[in-house]
Amino acid sequence: MDHLIIGFQNVLTPSTLFWVTVGVTLGYVLGALPGLGKATGVAVAIPMTFYLHPVAAIALLIGIAKGSAAGSAVSAILLNTPGEPSSAPTALDGYPLARQGKAQKALKMGLFASVIGDFLSTLVLIALAAPLASYALLIGPVELCAILLFSLTFIGGLAGRSMLKGLIAAAFGVFFATVGIETETFIPRLTFGLLELDDGISLVPMAIGMLAVAEMVIQGGNAQTLDREAAQIDDSARPEDRRVTLAEWRRCLPVIGRGTLIGAVVGILPGLGASVGSFLSYGATQRASKTPEKFGTGMIEGVAAAESADNAVVPSSFVPLFALGIPGSVIAAILIAALVLHGLTPGPMMFLEQPQMIADLYAAMLCASVILLIVGYVGQRVFAQIIRVPIRLIIPVVLFLCCIGAYMTTNSLFSIYLMLGFALLGFFARKLEFSFVTFLIGFVIGPNLELTFRQSLQILDHDPARLVGHPIALLFGLLTIATVVWISHSNNRLSARRAAAQSAGTDQTAEHSHI
Amino acid sequence: MRRPNRRQLFGAAAAALLALGWLAPAPVAAGDYPDRPITMLVGYKAGGQTDLVGRAAAKVLSDQLGVPVNVVNKPGGGGVLAAHELSKAKPDGYTLLFHTNSVVNTIPFLMKRVTFKPEDFEYAGMITSYQVGLATQKDAPYDTLEEFVAWAKENLGFSFGSLSPTARMTMDVIAEREGLDVNIVPLKGGGDLLNALLGHQVALVWSGGIHYKYRDQLKTIVALTTFRHPSAPDVETIDEAGYPLGMDGRTTLILPKGTPREMLERLSTALKAAETNETFAKVVAAANIPIMYKDLDEAATEVAESYARNKAIFESAGIEPR
Repeated sequence: MDHLIIGFQNVLTPSTLFWVTVGVTLGYVLGALPGLGKATGVAVAIPMTFYLHPVAAIALLIGIAKGSAAGSAVSAILLNTPGEPSSAPTALDGYPLARQGKAQKALKMGLFASVIGDFLSTLVLIALAAPLASYALLIGPVELCAILLFSLTFIGGLAGRSMLKGLIAAAFGVFFATVGIETETFIPRLTFGLLELDDGISLVPMAIGMLAVAEMVIQGGNAQTLDREAAQIDDSARPEDRRVTLAEWRRCLPVIGRGTLIGAVVGILPGLGASVGSFLSYGATQRASKTPEKFGTGMIEGVAAAESADNAVVPSSFVPLFALGIPGSVIAAILIAALVLHGLTPGPMMFLEQPQMIADLYAAMLCASVILLIVGYVGQRVFAQIIRVPIRLIIPVVLFLCCIGAYMTTNSLFSIYLMLGFALLGFFARKLEFSFVTFLIGFVIGPNLELTFRQSLQILDHDPARLVGHPIALLFGLLTIATVVWISHSNNRLSARRAAAQSAGTDQTAEHSHI
Repeated sequence: MRRPNRRQLFGAAAAALLALGWLAPAPVAAGDYPDRPITMLVGYKAGGQTDLVGRAAAKVLSDQLGVPVNVVNKPGGGGVLAAHELSKAKPDGYTLLFHTNSVVNTIPFLMKRVTFKPEDFEYAGMITSYQVGLATQKDAPYDTLEEFVAWAKENLGFSFGSLSPTARMTMDVIAEREGLDVNIVPLKGGGDLLNALLGHQVALVWSGGIHYKYRDQLKTIVALTTFRHPSAPDVETIDEAGYPLGMDGRTTLILPKGTPREMLERLSTALKAAETNETFAKVVAAANIPIMYKDLDEAATEVAESYARNKAIFESAGIEPR
C-alpha cells in the first residue's frame, strides 16, 4: 500500500502523465480509425519504448492498450467497421443506434462501459495478481478445451436471424483457421506452397477485410440512400438521445458488471484474448435478456456488454505477466521486452525485488483509466461529427487506412491481398446475410480448440477415464451440454411464437380478403 | 465545396509522390559504407526474445557505424520468409537479417519448400547463443537424462512438451533407443511452454532457454547444445550423456550473397562492440542469453560445420524434409 502511494507520486509527475496521455490518445485515435488499431499502435511504440525511461515506456504501452480497446468502439458504432475483431459485437447494436440518430448515446455508453470495465479489472489485477496467477496455472489444456467448447455454444446467440446460416459461417471460420503449419506434424495445410501462409491467415488483415473493407463496399453501393438518411437523422437534437438516461444506466449496470467479470476471467486465462471476452459477454447478455429478439436492432445493453468485457480483458491479461512472467497478449510481450531492456525480469521475483516498480505500474494503469475517460469524452464529440460527412468522402479514407493497417502487421504486401480476398468473402456474407460475427468466432476459437484438444489427448494418454482428474473440465463439459439443451428449448419456443405470430398474420389477411 | 476538395486531394497526392521519390534509394556507393540508414530484418514478431536481442544489437551497430539501423519484423516460417526477402535484396550492405542460424542450418532439413543453402548467404558475425535444453520442474525425481530414462521406463505414457520438429525428433530418438512410451504434447510458443511446465501438465519439455528465468521452479536435466550452458555449467550435454544429438543455435548477422568483404568486416567489427556494451549485456543477461561472439570468418566456419553436423543428425534419425 505504501508502495502504491509512492507509486502515485512517481506517476503523477508531468513527464509520466504526459506519456500516459500520449499513449491513451494515440491508442484511442488509432482504435477509432477503422483498419488501424492495437497492432499499429504497438508498431509505432516499440522503437520509442527503447529510448524512454522505464515507467514512461510502460505508461505509454499501457495507454495504447487501454486507449485502442476503447477507441475501436467508435468506428464500430459510427461506421459499422470495428477496428478490432473484439469490437465486432459492439457494432451489432451500436451501428443501428447511430443510424437512429443516437450515436452520442451509444458512444457515451461504450466509453463508460469501457472505462468501468477497465478500472474494475485493474483493481482486480492489483488486489489479486499473485494468487490469481497460481490458480490460472490449474487451467491446463484439458480445462481450456472444455472452456472453449463452452464458449462456442454462445455462437447461437450471435448468429443473427438464421441459426443455420450462422452455423455455416462459423464452420467457414473454423475452416480458414486450419490454414498453416499443423502443430503436431509440422506439415503445411492448405498453404498452396505459399510461404506467407505457413503461420496461418493472420487475424488482423482478415478481420480488416471482412469487417471494414467489405462494409465500405456495401456502403458505397448504398451511398445515396445513406447520405439521404444521414441528412434526415443527422444527430438527434433530443437531449435523451444524446446521453445515457437513468433508466438505461439501471439496465446496463448489471450488464457492465457481468461483462467486466467475464472480461477479467478471460484475460487471465492463457490464449483466449479480447475477442472471446466480448463475444461471450454479448452472448450472455442476450441470453439473460427478457427481449433477446431485439438484440441487433439497437439495444444499448449490447454496446455495454461488448465494450465492458473488451476493456476488462486488457488489465487482467497482465496478471500472468506480472505474476508468472508469461505474456498473455501482444502488448504484454512488448511490455516484457521494455521491462527486460531496463534490467527488470517480469515474474514472481519482480514482486520481491522491485515492489516499487510494480506499484508504479499499477498507479500508471489507474491513471490511464481516468485519462481514458477524459480523452474518450473529448474524442467522441469530435468523432461523432463523422456521421455528417458524406459517405463518398469517408470510403477512400477508410480504405487507405485499412491498407496501412493490414500492411503493418507483417510488413508485407501479402497481407493486403489477404485483406482484399476476405473483403470479397465479407461482401457476399453480408449480401447473403451470413453472420460474419460467428465467422470470426469460429476463426478465433477454432485453432485454440484444435490445439488444446490435441494437447488434451496426449496429456490424458488417450484415456477418457482420466478426465475424472480434471473436475473443472468436467464442470464446463456439463455446462456445455446444459446450455445446448436450454438453447434448443428456447429456440423451439421462439420459433413456435414466431409461427403463432405468422399464422395470426395470415388469419388477418384471410379475414381481410373476405371483406 | 467540391472543387477545393479535389484540388486538395491532388495536392496531397503530388506531395506524397514527391516524398516517395525523395525516399528512393541512392545509387550504391562502396567507398564510405555506410552513409545511409541500414534496414535490419528480424524473422520473428516484435516482442520475442530474438527480436529483443536484435533491437539491442541494432542499437550497438547504429552507435558504431554512425547511421540509423532500422529494425523491420518480417515474421513467417521461422525466418524463412525474411531469408527469402534478404536473398532478393541488393548485396550493398544496407539490408541485413538478424536471425538464428537455424534458418540455414536446420530448416532446410525440415521444409521441402526451402531451396536456399548456407552458401547462398554471407555472414558478418554471431553474437549470442541459445541455451537449448530439456527442462522440468525443480521437484521432479530426476536430475540427469540417465535418471529421467530410468524414471520414464517406470512411467509409461508420460507427457513431453514439444515446440518444433527438432524437439520431436530429439525425444523420438531417445524413446526409440530406450523403449519409452511417450505422449508428445504440441506446444505453441514460449508462453504456452511455461504454462505447461509451471502448471505440471508435462513431465519434460524441450526449451530454447526461456526456462532459465525460473530458477526457483525449474531445472535443466541436459543441454542439447554442443557446449555446456553458462547458466548451468554442471549439467552435462546430450553428447556427453551418450546421444550424439547436440545442435547449436546462434543469432547471426546474415547478408545477401555477394556483399563486398570490406562491408562484412565493418559490420563484424561493429558487432564485436556488443560484447562489451553495457546496455546489450543488461538486455541479454535479463533474458539469460549468453554472449558468444564470432567474427565473420568464424561465423562462416560455424555455419558450414553446424550444417554438416545437423545433416548427419537428421539423416540418421530418418527425418525427411516435407
